[in-house]
Amino acid sequence: MKFNSISEILDFAIDKEEEAYQLYTDLAANMSRESMRLIFLQFANEEKQHKAKLLNIQSGKLEIPAAQKVSDLKIGDNLEEVAISSDLTYQQALILAMKAEKNAYKLYSDLSELATNPAHKALFLQLAQEEARHKLRFEIEYDDFILQEN
Amino acid sequence: MAETVKKKLDLRRRSMPKQMPEVRRHNFKEVALGYTEKSAVEEAKRCIQCPKPRCVGNCPVEINIPGFIQAIADENFERGVRILKEKNCLPAVCGRVCPQEEQCEETCILQKKGGQIAIGRLERFLADWEAVQGELKIPAIPRSTDKKVAVIGGGPAGLTVAGDLIQLGHQVTIFEALHEMGGVLIYGIPEFRLPKLIVKREVDYLQKLGVVLRTDYVVGKTRTVESLLEEYDAIFVGSGAGLPWFMSIPGENLNGVYSANEYLTRLNLMKGFLFPEYHTPVKSHKRVAVVGGGNVAMDCARSALRLGAESRIVYRRSREEMPARLEEIENAEEEGVIFDLLTLPLRYIGDDNGWVKAMEIMKMELGEPDDSGRRRPVPIEGSETIVPVDAVVCAIGNSPNPLIPKTTPGLEVGKRGNIVADEETGRTSRDKIWAGGDVVTGAATVILAMGAGRKAARSMHQYLSSP
Amino acid sequence: MFKVIASKMIVPNIHLLTLEAPEIARRVQPGQFVILRASEEGERTPLSVSDWDADLGTVTVILLNIGHTTDQLASLEAGMNIPTVVGPLGNATEIEKFGTVFCLGGCYGIGSIYPIAKALKEKGNKIVTIIEARSSYLFYWEDRFKALSDKLFLITRDGSKGLRGHIERLPQIVKEFGKPIDRVIANGCTFFMKRVSDMTRPLDLSTWVSLNPIMIDGTGMCGVCRVSVGKSTKFACVDGPDFDGHQVNWDELLQRRKTYMAEEAVPMRTSRCEEHSLKLRKN
Repeated sequence: MKFNSISEILDFAIDKEEEAYQLYTDLAANMSRESMRLIFLQFANEEKQHKAKLLNIQSGKLEIPAAQKVSDLKIGDNLEEVAISSDLTYQQALILAMKAEKNAYKLYSDLSELATNPAHKALFLQLAQEEARHKLRFEIEYDDFILQEN
Repeated sequence: MAETVKKKLDLRRRSMPKQMPEVRRHNFKEVALGYTEKSAVEEAKRCIQCPKPRCVGNCPVEINIPGFIQAIADENFERGVRILKEKNCLPAVCGRVCPQEEQCEETCILQKKGGQIAIGRLERFLADWEAVQGELKIPAIPRSTDKKVAVIGGGPAGLTVAGDLIQLGHQVTIFEALHEMGGVLIYGIPEFRLPKLIVKREVDYLQKLGVVLRTDYVVGKTRTVESLLEEYDAIFVGSGAGLPWFMSIPGENLNGVYSANEYLTRLNLMKGFLFPEYHTPVKSHKRVAVVGGGNVAMDCARSALRLGAESRIVYRRSREEMPARLEEIENAEEEGVIFDLLTLPLRYIGDDNGWVKAMEIMKMELGEPDDSGRRRPVPIEGSETIVPVDAVVCAIGNSPNPLIPKTTPGLEVGKRGNIVADEETGRTSRDKIWAGGDVVTGAATVILAMGAGRKAARSMHQYLSSP
Repeated sequence: MFKVIASKMIVPNIHLLTLEAPEIARRVQPGQFVILRASEEGERTPLSVSDWDADLGTVTVILLNIGHTTDQLASLEAGMNIPTVVGPLGNATEIEKFGTVFCLGGCYGIGSIYPIAKALKEKGNKIVTIIEARSSYLFYWEDRFKALSDKLFLITRDGSKGLRGHIERLPQIVKEFGKPIDRVIANGCTFFMKRVSDMTRPLDLSTWVSLNPIMIDGTGMCGVCRVSVGKSTKFACVDGPDFDGHQVNWDELLQRRKTYMAEEAVPMRTSRCEEHSLKLRKN
């Protein structure tokens, strides 16, 4: 993957958010239970907001947030992959989301390693941290709700 | 002027006699033996009968606590029972399993000096006293209203709704999926914490009041809520939170890995500890690990111990954060349960025959407080260890059973699988259907379920009485 | 309490039990099961419903006498009462007009596949039935299957009736049948269903099985009936009991079913001997 400009990188990231939005929207459409459909729609909406933020950064309306360490609870790391079905539970939805965000984080971290341009390197790192923040939001929900007795 | 004699504060909580740990870890008999009359009266006399008692407001069913305590102090136990039962139809149960330390006792004015009145123990005393008095007096029931109520689930919420509505003259039937009434009281809480005879006594009392009990009746399968609505004027759903959560880690389907529900149901409902007299088997394990830190986890660990195993709790956070009652944690420690705190299982390892033989664990440390102020556990890199076990009980919690929502169109369900119900009335999104207890809140306490049942019964009665 | 209407051994070690359970009889669908308890101390045992009469309010189960609890059930007599009959549990078998359906039954599965085959026939499917047993004296309900099947194959190990062999004959039967097969449904012991699934996989035949893990409550509460299907874990009592046979982790199921084999022997040793000596003393 070669990126020639900051704008190209942001295009790539915006596409990724769109993909994530699509993933959750498709999952929502497939759910047999209304409550789970709404959950995935909520996740999809969050990705839409991430995308909007990136668009604003690209157009100069927003500054990209400064580098800041984000907690990594590592909750999803050793949990089993969720097999997609129409009957997912909230626990499975959260695991799916944690793993998806982790993958996104890893993608940007790897791209940051590979980048030679310092500005690009920095941007990838910041994007990675954004994903880490998204992951944390799901980890906290999992920690508070699913793991309330553990 | 007469000298005002200040009553000297007696801050010495009378202790609860218990079976010695070395003895009780080998039997399933009740651990706490109950106050003697002498201790109860002494404890009751400690209460300073505050003009503005703070304990009452912190009781989910608003029992007149000073009232029944005074009755004990006056040695008029019958009056005490009457006051107690005005608000609580399961006092023998609540006196044993309520987390009084977080409710009534926490707000006792003497709490600051460590001498809070042992309200729970006194409640239990009265209930147990009544039980040995012989036949229970059946109160006069008003004339029948000809209104029919179906209660789904024979757990604490359902039993409370049934008890309240039958005494208001309505016809009540409880439909229970299992073969015994009681719900979590009968399948979840072990004999050594809540003898089943007590639950049976409470259930028999309801039957004497005229409540019809239908066991082995799975609403949603045997008959739907829709079908019940054709026959009943109002329905209360108290089907509980019986769907077990698993960790979702590798090896969870190995032989010897149980959900807490399975482990406890075999022992409590199916009386597996009396195998082979009772036919449902329970395996003898040597090294049991129970994952979780709530009351359910304590119950599992203490049961495993009683079955002869080396029993350990594996909990991801620190002791201070364990949601179990302190009393039960201490009981477990006294009995010899090992506590592996700040520990997380990563996977279960099986032998060639598909039996769990070990688990890989990771040590945790509490991270910095986050925005919510909470310190969350974070794995310590490189701390992975293999621990030999031959059984694992996953006691990390339950969520509401999805059967009723799945089979009842239009019943609004929250993201956690819970039925959405009004907090004050228990009304759901469907006409004529109320809900309360764990199916609404997620797994919580007996007394909260009862409180919800009480509120729903009030609302249902209002509805049933309106023209 | 639930009354026993009929209890008889129909072929060696296979028993038919008819129970009075009107509410279940009114609602039960092919493929569903009930859980029985023969006594207060008894285990909760799941058994497929093989027949029912909504008007009479009865349900019938077929069971293989293979251990303590099934022995207890087999010893029941008409007129007795048992404490638990709960159901109908599980999801009904999918009954649609698929086209041609192969219905395979072995052992107690011959009983449980009957209502499925019947309902599929009524829906307009062509039914090819294959029932398998060690020997001809172990077949039952042959007439029922003759009446509803477009083709009926019997397979016996000893060749005493029908084709000689066992369910391994299936690919040959399929080949000779020569026409498209839209669905295969197999009911029977775990090994039987596993073998059928193994054979139909390379033939790309959609195969549905009725799983029989250990159960206690049957309502999704305890998870002992969990099975691996594809990459998911499912509860056979509420997600099944029917699953795609090609997705089931059969080795794991066979393994999990062995959990209490050692304990199974204990009551057999003690209670049977006591019962027997009691009977001898009475006489």
